[in-house]
Amino acid sequence: MDRRLFLNLLGKGVLASSALGIFPSLVWGKTSFDYALEGQNLIQSGNYDGALKVLKEAVRLDPQSDWAFGLLGRAYRGLGQKAEAVDAFRQAVRLNPEDVYSRMMIEIMTQKPIPKLKKVKKPLTPLEKKALEEENQMLSRLGSDEGLEYQVKRVVIDAGHGGFDSGAVGLNGLKEKDVNLDLAKKLHQRLQSGGEVKAFLTRTEDYYVPLSDRTVIANQYQADLFISIHINANKNREAHGSETYFCAEKASSKEAARVAELENAVLKYDKPFKKRPGYIDIEEILFQFERKLYWSESGKFAGGFQDRFKHGLPLKSRGVHSANFYVLRTAKMPSILLETGFISNSNEESMLKQPAFREKIVDAIMRGLV
Amino acid sequence: MRNRGQAKGDRGQGSVVRGTCVIIFAVLIFFCSGYAALAVDINDLIFQGADFHYKGKLDEAIVKFQAAVRIDPGNEYAHNQLGILYAKKERFGDAFQEFSRVVQIDRRNTFALLWLGILHLRQNDLNNAFEKFQEIVKIDPNNADAYYYLGAIYNFRHNQAKAIEYLKKARDADSGEADTHYRLGKAFHNVDMIYNALLEYDRALRLRPSYTVAINETGWIYYNHGSYEEAIGEWKKTLKINPRDGDAIFNLAKAYNDLAWKALSAGNRKEAVRYWKKTLGVNPSNKAAKYNLKKYGK
Repeated sequence: MDRRLFLNLLGKGVLASSALGIFPSLVWGKTSFDYALEGQNLIQSGNYDGALKVLKEAVRLDPQSDWAFGLLGRAYRGLGQKAEAVDAFRQAVRLNPEDVYSRMMIEIMTQKPIPKLKKVKKPLTPLEKKALEEENQMLSRLGSDEGLEYQVKRVVIDAGHGGFDSGAVGLNGLKEKDVNLDLAKKLHQRLQSGGEVKAFLTRTEDYYVPLSDRTVIANQYQADLFISIHINANKNREAHGSETYFCAEKASSKEAARVAELENAVLKYDKPFKKRPGYIDIEEILFQFERKLYWSESGKFAGGFQDRFKHGLPLKSRGVHSANFYVLRTAKMPSILLETGFISNSNEESMLKQPAFREKIVDAIMRGLV
Repeated sequence: MRNRGQAKGDRGQGSVVRGTCVIIFAVLIFFCSGYAALAVDINDLIFQGADFHYKGKLDEAIVKFQAAVRIDPGNEYAHNQLGILYAKKERFGDAFQEFSRVVQIDRRNTFALLWLGILHLRQNDLNNAFEKFQEIVKIDPNNADAYYYLGAIYNFRHNQAKAIEYLKKARDADSGEADTHYRLGKAFHNVDMIYNALLEYDRALRLRPSYTVAINETGWIYYNHGSYEEAIGEWKKTLKINPRDGDAIFNLAKAYNDLAWKALSAGNRKEAVRYWKKTLGVNPSNKAAKYNLKKYGK
């Protein structure tokens, strides 16, 4: 007998009462420990029914006794009641994560299917009642598609720049922030009127929205897609055409890497993920999987948009580029950045001024969404 | 946190003494039925392997389980343990082989199938992962883990109707996982079923009070329904748990900026300035707040 158990027994007078042949219940009321000890003896003698009775009493008296729960698991297991056994072992592990035996039994028993444990119905809380009413009203209205295609039902449209940040300015005074806002509003209106997709804007007027706020807004509305609208500029006035950026682990070109590096020069608050040695973080696997999935979807959307631009706009296609943009990375959904022409090119600046050309851009974006 | 088959890396000594006698006894009982002739050796090895594994002594555990499968190549538990141990050592190819071996021994070993699915996910192999999890729910319609991963995959595809369907099954099969409640909450949140979202985030937080992502999302529900102070309270709660939580910092900064604009629009310049100062308090590099303070702060 180990010292701890011996001291426990001594403290509770079990040894003395046993030595006298008197049951402790005759001297004082039985404790959880007494019942658990009795249950252990019954298990060892193969009397699982008897053990179950006393062990249920043990856990009733002390719901914090991991030892009693572990024994209860053994009694259930002896009776072939696998679901109840696993439940008791789980309770033991919850109370004492170092309970090696219970842990091992859970692993062994749950390798194969076990029956479902019957649940005790509890009265609903006010929030549960509201949730149930909501579910009855709304859940059946949701379309249920079996496929694994990425679904877009909410789009956040970001009009780049704004307020004191004009973005690029054309030779004839056209400001990028104004074109971006007009395109974003037009796209928003078009999506809203379609009725199938909910659309949200990061800004509705001419004011400055910090970069960090833009993806925060996308997260705020649980968006399925984040589209940031920009107009390009270059010191070389001849540069022209449209291009689309998305976030990826590796930059697609030196230029894309340089742009991303510039964008990434913001404060980084998140701690880098530190791998815990000797442990597989399944949620981290899911997180990485989710992120790569979004990047891959971003790539598909970017390709789709650029393709529509190529065929629907009188602009040269400069292709799709990817880089590890900090801001795009913080969006928890596929996100892309559209550069719909060069405002620094006088020809494209004059096109961008025309409402008809802007409608064409919106058409191309709409088709890219399909 | 969902940690199928993973023990804590270390443990105290208190329970070891009590546990040891019980374990030897139980393991003997458990294994002696099928392998009477080998009982002593293999039971010893498995017990020792499990003990090393739970203590975080991965190499020693691997040696024991390798010896166990040499004696009994059909021992599913030992192969599964080897699979997990190899995965922990980042020997993912070996881990995959071990779990595959278990499935060859018995196709109903859902533990091995689950880990094969997880390893497929790790390699971004969506279709094979999905297939494995579906196989599991066909074998075991009560398998909470498989439903969870299926729900999570639909969640990632933003197919929220299916995500809700599977995550509800995961929750109903085992309501003790905070991650399940959180992801179900996210799925409800995405389709504007806010009472259900709030309920599931709350359930996640009851199981894991430090689950900051659930706190942050709860904040958005309040915020989007005009309960700004409650929302701010939620994000502050997150910052108490993790002062460097990027989401909470940016959410708060955005909320303060919005409130500043509201105050300014209502003609309350003093209040607006107060909020912009708060923005800078949480996010000192916020350009909008800096600019507006300069413009309206005098």
